Amino acid sequence: MPVATEPVAVVDAPVKPFVNPPASSTDVVIEARNLSKVYRDFWGRKKVAALKSLDIEVRKGEIFGLLGPNGSGKSTTIKLILGLLFPTSGRVLVFDKDATETSKNERIGYLPEESYLYKFLTTDETLDFYGRLFDLSGAERKRRVDHLVNLVGLQNARHRQLKEYSKGMTRRVGLAQALINDPDLILLDEPTTGLDPIGTREMKDLILNLRDQGKTIVLCSHQLADVQDVCDRVAILHQGELKELGRVADLLKVQDVTEVHARGLTDAAKNEIVEVIRRHGGTVESIDNPTTTMEDLFLNIVRESDRRPGARRVSGAEITDNADSGAAS
Amino acid sequence: MTLQPEDFWSFTEWLLRPNAFLESALLQGVVLLVLAILIGLLVGYLISAVRFGPSEGFYAVARGVRDFFKFDLPGTSPRRIWALARLAYKEAIRRRVLVVVGMFVVGLLFAGWYLDPKSSDPGRLYISFVLTATNYLILLLALFISTFSLPADIKNRTIYTIVTKPVRATEIVLGRMIGFVGVGTLMLVPMGIASYFFVTRGLRHDHEVADIKATEDGRFEGTTSFDQYHQHTFTIDSPLDDEGNPITDSDADAIGITDMVRGHRHVVRRIDGKYVVGEPTGALRARVPSYGTLVFTDRAGELKEAGIDVGNEKASGGYGSAGVARLVGMVQGPRRLEHGYMEGGTLASAIFTFSGVTASNYPDEDGVPMEMALRAYRSIKGDIISGLNGSITLRNPDNKSIESTPITFVIKEYEIAEETLPRQLEGTDGKETRTLSLFEDLVTPDGRVDVIIKCLDSEQYLGTSLSNIYLRPAETSFALNLAKSYASIWLQMVMVIAFGVMFSTFLSGPVAMVATFVCVLLGFAAEQIYSIRYYMDRNESMGGGPVESMVRLLRQDAMTTQLDVDGVASQVIKSIDSVIIYILDVIASSLPNLPKMVGTAEYAASGFDIFGSLLARHGVATLGYVIVAFIISYFFLKTREIAA
Repeated sequence: MPVATEPVAVVDAPVKPFVNPPASSTDVVIEARNLSKVYRDFWGRKKVAALKSLDIEVRKGEIFGLLGPNGSGKSTTIKLILGLLFPTSGRVLVFDKDATETSKNERIGYLPEESYLYKFLTTDETLDFYGRLFDLSGAERKRRVDHLVNLVGLQNARHRQLKEYSKGMTRRVGLAQALINDPDLILLDEPTTGLDPIGTREMKDLILNLRDQGKTIVLCSHQLADVQDVCDRVAILHQGELKELGRVADLLKVQDVTEVHARGLTDAAKNEIVEVIRRHGGTVESIDNPTTTMEDLFLNIVRESDRRPGARRVSGAEITDNADSGAAS
Repeated sequence: MTLQPEDFWSFTEWLLRPNAFLESALLQGVVLLVLAILIGLLVGYLISAVRFGPSEGFYAVARGVRDFFKFDLPGTSPRRIWALARLAYKEAIRRRVLVVVGMFVVGLLFAGWYLDPKSSDPGRLYISFVLTATNYLILLLALFISTFSLPADIKNRTIYTIVTKPVRATEIVLGRMIGFVGVGTLMLVPMGIASYFFVTRGLRHDHEVADIKATEDGRFEGTTSFDQYHQHTFTIDSPLDDEGNPITDSDADAIGITDMVRGHRHVVRRIDGKYVVGEPTGALRARVPSYGTLVFTDRAGELKEAGIDVGNEKASGGYGSAGVARLVGMVQGPRRLEHGYMEGGTLASAIFTFSGVTASNYPDEDGVPMEMALRAYRSIKGDIISGLNGSITLRNPDNKSIESTPITFVIKEYEIAEETLPRQLEGTDGKETRTLSLFEDLVTPDGRVDVIIKCLDSEQYLGTSLSNIYLRPAETSFALNLAKSYASIWLQMVMVIAFGVMFSTFLSGPVAMVATFVCVLLGFAAEQIYSIRYYMDRNESMGGGPVESMVRLLRQDAMTTQLDVDGVASQVIKSIDSVIIYILDVIASSLPNLPKMVGTAEYAASGFDIFGSLLARHGVATLGYVIVAFIISYFFLKTREIAA
């Protein structure tokens, strides 16, 4: 075990500290009132009630997550917000306009669940095409396309047709097209599916970055870790009903458990701490070395490999070794 | 080529029908548009009422109409339309639609093997082959590309990324239509060029002089070699020397012309004692006809509207021109063309009055070119060697005593005889017989002249219709005429694309294709439906409607006999039939008259310049249908739940 000498840091919450949203966060971007959707068959018979009386508000500048198992109504909600579906009752207002109005789309960027893009176009053509749909001038389109191609890291593939792309690359093009109009509201449907860990991390960083630029983001996902990492507020849906709504920080905080992270403690010191806790009437539930996440391990390996290209000697024993050292570093 | 009365209408006559507005195309178009809108609103209301309730449904429809005029129509952006059109275009091109052009060209390469090499009119055969092939190929292609694209986009959900941008339904519809028209045009142009070369090259051939001998009158007669299943005979006039005497030397340079075989002739030249047969001429023409008006006289010389009906001389079709008036039953009479016949050896005649006959319109020194495609009806065998004789008399329409001596001719059946009305001809001015000047004596100051056709053989009949005899002030180039035929095909393609896109906004790909196909079929069957309606209106037994026909088929009854079932059954059958036929009639009347547009190919094949007014009519009709299809598409797309 490596010995470290840093001071002890005490953290109350297991998640990143929540950055207070700017003062204008009271501005409501999306407002769903009593929103219901019933899917019917050809004869008008009720098939399934996908959404039941949903009431949510999404405020300007926040990252809002929609969580829920498959078939819980996440995608239906997003489609209702976009006007791809019409509500059976209730209504959605986006930027104070009805969701079925076309003009609201000027300020919206949407990344669909799978990248439903035209496979016969190249990246440049795709982005240029979507730019045209926003009535952007030629010079403006060129500027934004260049910027976005760099942002999503497709500089080397911009003249290839999308049908030659891997899923992750198509996802990046999908993201770029969602940002072509520099939108104020970005709707991301499963933004990290199909991305490798580096891509996932980059996507999450990008989402946070966009929030910092003052944009509002709504994402739905069942990658709980991703939601936890980036969302300010989440709504949890199940069977078309809203089960929980609130700040991630508040929802996840376990109020009666305290977590202490420390470095460089001897076994004696640990025993002493346990003793102190007992003396104060607390119960020690566990005392252990933390493990890192697979994501951190993977990213470290890839970064190291970028710095020192070449084969990395791996044996069964070394894997644990490396994992250990990776965990400790 | 036999023309229907409506084919002679000018564009304004067709659009407005000055004396019969009920028959006008404008009225038909307006009625169709209004009906489409009314039905659209009604259907829209019914759907909304089911979805939101009766009163809220009304507001939903009202909002839809308001959105169309207030936001979507004014907000339609050319840049977005263009982007979507380019997308549709790229999609088709990258899916290698152009392969069809290659297939067409390859098809042409082999087509020559299968076109009858012994045809008496190969020009007509080649032209109608290429035009028909292109026409149906392009329509089929338009059907496929226009109906499958939008449903595929909805199914693959690529449409999600489009409709979540500020794209309006108007732009999606127009973008598709324009994009597909672009693809179609890109295919039609090379096909047209390939067709032109196919026809011109296919008809080109050479002959050599096989035999030549001098005749007694100092001329030379000969025959060409037998090539391409035919040979020509020709005569060469001896050239004249400076004093006007013929040079009978068989080596002197001279020129002659062959007879007309298989629709063409060759010029034969003698240069330095060698004979050279030139390229075929006259097979590919584009005559610009000048039609007159026609009245008949009976055997006593009394004026009559129509000639004698010798039976089975009715050309099919022609009902469709009466528009709404026919649909509501206000016009029931036949609109079809009938050939009128005049009895030979009597005072019966056909009197054509041509206008615009001036020296500036007909500058040719030889005279005014006139062409005749007469029919003959024989009641006796007669002289079977020499054919029937007829005569042409020119007369001043204002002063009927001024007329020329009859010019006799032998009629050539099944082909177009070319005559020239000479500038100077013998005749009488009412007082004396003298040489009359065509333009000064026979033609009125405003350029009108009567041409009287008579049959000279008694007990035989000559038949004509308005389009069978015409003056020919000019000819245009064959290439231009072929281009006009292709323009007509292009218009049909636009029509099919508009319908295809319309159906694809609310039906799945294959169903949309079938729906469009049915529309095209019904459009093609329109004249037959009108025809059944015509006999039903007149209570004539002509097979009846679908149920009656079925009964007749099963009973093996002829179609002209009375329906032989009991009274009640007959009533029931006829009532069901009339309901079916009226419904079919309404549908057929509201669909584009595609056969009329396909019919322009007949002009090119027969060697007639396609009238500008005809193309203009088709163009305006196409535009009208595109507008209707556009509006319907808009509402369907607008009210559709894309993600459902």
